[in-house]
Amino acid sequence: MLTRLLGIMIMSTLSTPLIGLIGKRIKREKLLVTVFAVSIILCIFAIVLTSLLGIIKSHQYYVFMEDLSLPERPIFKADLISTFMAATSSGICFLALLFSARIIPEVKVTAYFSVFLGILTSIFGIVSSEDFFTLYIFWEAMCICSYTLVSFNKVRSETIEAGYKYLIMSSSGAIIILFALSFLYGLTGTLNFQILSQSLSQARGNPLVHLAVLMLLVGFGLQAGVVPFHTWLPDALCAAPSAASAFLSACVEKMGLYCLLKIFFVIFNSFYDEWRIPIAVFAVLSMFVGNFSALLQDDLKRLFAYSTIANTGYILVGVAVGTSKALAGSIFHILNHAIVTALLFLCVGAFISQTRTRSLRKLAGIRHTMPWTSLAFLIGVLSLATFPFLNIFWSELLIITSSWETGMIWLSFLMIINLMFSAAYSLRVVQAIAVKGTTYISRKAREAPLSMITPIFILAIAIIFIGVYPSLLQSLSEKIVNSSLRVTS
Amino acid sequence: MPLIYYVSCSIILFFIGLYCLIMKRNMIRLLMGLEIMMNAVNLNFIAFSSRAAEGAVHPLAHVFAILSISIGGCVIALGLVLTIYAYRHYGTLDVRELRRLRR
Repeated sequence: MLTRLLGIMIMSTLSTPLIGLIGKRIKREKLLVTVFAVSIILCIFAIVLTSLLGIIKSHQYYVFMEDLSLPERPIFKADLISTFMAATSSGICFLALLFSARIIPEVKVTAYFSVFLGILTSIFGIVSSEDFFTLYIFWEAMCICSYTLVSFNKVRSETIEAGYKYLIMSSSGAIIILFALSFLYGLTGTLNFQILSQSLSQARGNPLVHLAVLMLLVGFGLQAGVVPFHTWLPDALCAAPSAASAFLSACVEKMGLYCLLKIFFVIFNSFYDEWRIPIAVFAVLSMFVGNFSALLQDDLKRLFAYSTIANTGYILVGVAVGTSKALAGSIFHILNHAIVTALLFLCVGAFISQTRTRSLRKLAGIRHTMPWTSLAFLIGVLSLATFPFLNIFWSELLIITSSWETGMIWLSFLMIINLMFSAAYSLRVVQAIAVKGTTYISRKAREAPLSMITPIFILAIAIIFIGVYPSLLQSLSEKIVNSSLRVTS
Repeated sequence: MPLIYYVSCSIILFFIGLYCLIMKRNMIRLLMGLEIMMNAVNLNFIAFSSRAAEGAVHPLAHVFAILSISIGGCVIALGLVLTIYAYRHYGTLDVRELRRLRR
């Protein structure tokens, strides 16, 4: 199974320049390159999904080059959580590429697909690496590809500015991570997760370790959009092409949360109790700032970017509570929010491609002219508003009830208040799209082509399926927590 | 020299880079600040590597430093590309001007 995952990494690393080569040789053959790239990603998704099912069935994980007598060695490991994240990301990546097949300009098609494949490969590297050395390299590879993706449409000044801001903030975050790693290396002489966690459990009370944890929290939280460091996120998600912002918001941003989970429940699990309150403070800040900023937003992409920040806050609430039920809620919410945010950004992309605007006021009443896209969009927005029997409802319920049971009643109370805010702005969007009369822009719109509708509807069906039948994925996320994370309490 | 000199030097360098990132307004200077911070971290790694084993240096830190230098080169190159495009769009390198010109 693990060799399969590594094989995928090698396969997509090799196919990245291959796409470029094909594109250069066969000029103006956009269709061929698109079909090639999309089918590669579909293959990758199928392989990862089968290995996920295999790991679920066999209850074991796979390690490559594990030899604890040589702590310098890089280690790759495919357990349940890493395969789960890899499957989510490759699925979303496939749908995003399928969506963008029609709308990207012809000259840029090879660069676009290469960058997407690069990000996907580095995500596989991040989730399967079991030491900080490998993780850092793949992390930076992912970040560099994301900067390119954000400033992809370089003729517009807005994208250059957002890309530059993202580059400065995110790479300073990466350097802060690196600084923390150098201190951990100085304390223990290794960067291997297992050895690090063993030797750090004896180093309790050392202030340097707490400094390192703080720096790791800041660095990875910056990528996840945790609030004092979130300012790049709305700009970057607005500036990127729509399919790219779906992918960034659904997968790249979730990698920060994955690394935080890994840090607090695998490496520093003996220090976790001291860090509960700071994580809870970050979570509350993220929820409030995200929801308040989204409340009166007219730009749809910016609105969903802020709701992404708020949802990061919800996931961090689960991390702050820290029981196995709450963590299962967090992981379930990572999947649910990835699906919903991908759906919403893809729908906004369809609106933009048909009407050239993303202002909510101008898009009012668009359900008359684009009925199918609007139907899927409304399902996504209602799910974001915690409508019962759609997928986000179940994961949020899990997080709130578990924080109530642990005695952190104030936290669940604050989260319920925030859910009301998110329902408020979601219902504002619903009202504008479905109830209001048409404007001169939305009257002229045409329904999006089939290649855009298909991925949108796959995601919408996934939302309804998980909402009606949540116990399957809920038990899967509980299994993930029990097998891959070390929960102390 | 004892280890603490090197470590304090790298911490001072790190804060110089951070100061540069926070206070400076020129786009190229911001990239320089990033580069200074990166070098501070590399110095820290190299300094710690001498302590890991008696009379020898630990290879992990050296490999890490070389790789992080090359990664830093990639990031700075991309940043300079973006700086060139920003200069073409706005005709200035001042970060504050970028914000003002936005509609």
